[in-house]
Amino acid sequence: MQTQFIGEHLLPGQLGHFFVVLSFIGSLLSAFAYFRAARCETIDPALSNRWLAIARNSFIIHSAAIIAIFITLYYIITNHLFEYHYAWAHSDRSLPSKYLLSCFWEGQQGSFLLWMFWHSVLGMIVMFRAKALESRAMAIIALVQVCLSTTVLGIYLPGDLQIGTSPFLLLRHQMQEAPIFQQADYLSMIKDGNGLNVLLQNYWMVIHPPVLFLGFASTLIPFAFAVAALWKGDYKLFIKPALSWALFSGAVFGTGIMMGGAWAYESLNFGGYWAWDPVENASLVPWMIMVAGIHTLLIFRATGRSLVITLFFFILSYVAVWYSTFLTRTGVLGDTSVHAFTGEGKSLSWQLLIFIAIVAVCGYGLMIWRRKTMPRIKTEEALWTREFWMFIGSFVLLLAAVQISISTSIPVWSPLAKAITGKDVAPPIDPVAHYNNIQIWVAVFITLFCGGVLYLKYKQTSLRSIARIFSIVLGVSIVLTISTAVIQGIDGWQFILLLFSACFCITATVVYAFSSQKSLKKMGPSLSHFGFGVLILGILITGRKKEVISLNTLGGILPLGETDTRKAMKESQENVMLYEDIAVAMSDYWATYKGDSVSATDPRTFYKVLFQRRDSATGKVLESFSLYPDAFINPKGQEGLSANPSSRHYWNRDIFTYVSSVSGKPNEVRVSQATDTFKHFTVHRGDTIYLSKAFIVFKDFNTQISDSRYTAAPGDVVVGAQIEVYNLEGKINTVQPVYYIRNQAENFIDDTLSSSVGAIVRLGKVIPEENAADIQVKEIEQHKRWIVLKAIVFPHINLVWAGTILMSLGFLLSMWRSISKKGKALKG
Amino acid sequence: MKKTHIALLVLVAAAVCVIVSMFGDMSTYETFGTAAENPGKQFHVIGVLEGDRKVDYDPQTDPNHCSFLVRDKAGNVKKVIFNGAKPTDIEKSEQIVMKGKMDGDAFRCTQIQMKCPSKYKNDQIAVGNAS
Repeated sequence: MQTQFIGEHLLPGQLGHFFVVLSFIGSLLSAFAYFRAARCETIDPALSNRWLAIARNSFIIHSAAIIAIFITLYYIITNHLFEYHYAWAHSDRSLPSKYLLSCFWEGQQGSFLLWMFWHSVLGMIVMFRAKALESRAMAIIALVQVCLSTTVLGIYLPGDLQIGTSPFLLLRHQMQEAPIFQQADYLSMIKDGNGLNVLLQNYWMVIHPPVLFLGFASTLIPFAFAVAALWKGDYKLFIKPALSWALFSGAVFGTGIMMGGAWAYESLNFGGYWAWDPVENASLVPWMIMVAGIHTLLIFRATGRSLVITLFFFILSYVAVWYSTFLTRTGVLGDTSVHAFTGEGKSLSWQLLIFIAIVAVCGYGLMIWRRKTMPRIKTEEALWTREFWMFIGSFVLLLAAVQISISTSIPVWSPLAKAITGKDVAPPIDPVAHYNNIQIWVAVFITLFCGGVLYLKYKQTSLRSIARIFSIVLGVSIVLTISTAVIQGIDGWQFILLLFSACFCITATVVYAFSSQKSLKKMGPSLSHFGFGVLILGILITGRKKEVISLNTLGGILPLGETDTRKAMKESQENVMLYEDIAVAMSDYWATYKGDSVSATDPRTFYKVLFQRRDSATGKVLESFSLYPDAFINPKGQEGLSANPSSRHYWNRDIFTYVSSVSGKPNEVRVSQATDTFKHFTVHRGDTIYLSKAFIVFKDFNTQISDSRYTAAPGDVVVGAQIEVYNLEGKINTVQPVYYIRNQAENFIDDTLSSSVGAIVRLGKVIPEENAADIQVKEIEQHKRWIVLKAIVFPHINLVWAGTILMSLGFLLSMWRSISKKGKALKG
Repeated sequence: MKKTHIALLVLVAAAVCVIVSMFGDMSTYETFGTAAENPGKQFHVIGVLEGDRKVDYDPQTDPNHCSFLVRDKAGNVKKVIFNGAKPTDIEKSEQIVMKGKMDGDAFRCTQIQMKCPSKYKNDQIAVGNAS
């Protein structure tokens, strides 16, 4: 019997399904019609034009259907229609509306949709501008859209096969076994959705995925033009559009990757912007290959050389985009990645592997087919030419990409390695060091090339003509290197070398821009190379001089001869306990936890930490600011906290903090719990006792008591204990508890350590045979609220961001120049 | 032979050397038992939380010390010491991947990665300090 479910809104889902199918059919028809149009282009132009009209219209319908899918899904999410699995899994009622868009890309299908959307937007532009190459380039673009559409199709075939997953799946279909769906009114029991992962509730997550996916999508266009050129057998027409689009890709993709870094820096407690995480690597590799392709295409445009490798790079870059999708979407990375998406299992893996094969066969198959007819230049290029060194540089980029891919793909090939060698290969213990140790050499080479190759000319360079200016550049960069190394304290010869290459790149590009290029229009290359040099300089300084300032240094403040290994270990530890209102030293600052706050509209708890910098001699406060690191406490269904960092930005450094642990529930009433008993310590002269907020040093016994609370009487045995009280700021008090025997009875005069420490100290007895004292301490206010904080100083992090922005601007400037240049496809 | 070809050969040879040498960096998945055979060397060990899933962490005495019991794939249970704040949700983890080395009878780990039961929660990672 069919149950009639109550309260479901089935119309949006049915509409959604319709649009999904429509977009699939639209792309299929468009691909087919473009293919037919290309086939009869020269034989029967009239027929070709009819096919073109069909193809264009179907592509427009396809694009419109994608937008309709978006609107439908957005409607479902904003109206909290939790009968739909996507809305239930990725959103909830309490989600601030600014994050509703993030729900789209938290899920698999939403991000595929976003990708398809950008493809269709870029495809429209190509459609109107590509002219002679339109039919072929668009046939490829439409074919890719066919592949992508299947990932959201959700077709079930016999034998447990599934093609794609629909974003409009109902919750009761997704979880058919659950008993709740036996009831017709199940919806009344599902009050709220599962919610968006708290890590994604951040403004960077609203803006970074669209940019990154536009970057991913943009690699399709140079690929499509490369294939179109091979297909048509015409290697001139494609240069201009492929170059413009490749430069666009370099800018947008590069920006997208670093925005991901900014997200990690601003909202994850990685403690940095780059961790060589597989997901980061997977987007870096296609970008590097794309940049290599841009340079070899420039060689081809100027000299007619390097055609084969240019096509190879553009195809490889797109294959790498699909491969990275395979790595990050199917769960194949398993244990190795922090933010690999959860997999949809086997069917998606096979689907993506088939797509990779289609893309590779389209590209490389055509290259093999055309291998004999591709134009080649037989003569050898001269050594001191731009084309030779640019080619070497591009090849170095390729090799670097290969190394990153091999290391990132460990989980992919480790089953094979296990079958052969019997070893269960795991990723490196310290992946950051693993990649850094290799890629630092790539960075040295590439930055040197970036600066130097600009001075070389195509085909022939007279070395004498550039010798003078080159030696000036070299001299300036050596001076820059030495002064930076001294000021920033960079050591280690390989880092000095990298510093030199970055300084060289920066100097060389600036000098070149103003001595040779002069007009802003031409400055694209030097600007992007300058940006790259700045980026490398920033990476070097932040990486080498990043300093954890929240060191647990308690016990290290006085040279008390601490030999205990556990204490010594503690000194190197990087989390510090902050009790409310107790200042703790961190580098130049005193950090004080001032309390927390929550608001009705924000699910996070904010922790106020006051930072003060004081003059060491006078104690005057020179600088004072508060940071508000925050955390989701007990986010849905989970215990514990998910922390967001808070940073203080200076022009030359950032102070970056986050809480790693907090006391109890926020706003819990403070427990003022007196410990019932005194704690006993047997100490000798000079010994130290550590308390939770201070430490005290027993100096000596004293028999000359002058205390207003004690009046001497004959026959008294009296002794006082001189005790110095320290907190982290230094000595704060001297106290003297007194012990006396009167009429054979023990009497104690306790002393309070200080008002801020809140502990009572007592001299319990004197142990003459050991020459020791029994000191007893009772801490009054032991259970204050606290947070555990980690604080890191990132020097010159702004160089990283500025370098990225300048590099992207350089790409865009070059793109603009390439577009506005008229006709001149092949010079000389 | 063209200069380009010579340069490419040199580069490829260098890259092959680098790639071959980098295999030395790679770690292997081991158990407590096999990790103990190479004390001082770091490995990856996969296991599940044991001992009623209890985690000892008292930030008031030491915010960088956290310990718990783990059963590895071979079935051995060892005490694991992590020099860092308690990883969020570790009590609920289905599986944990630890990087570290055997130190006496305990496993000292510098990094923990967890698989949590919820399909909709990303894997978690926690980094401590090498001691």
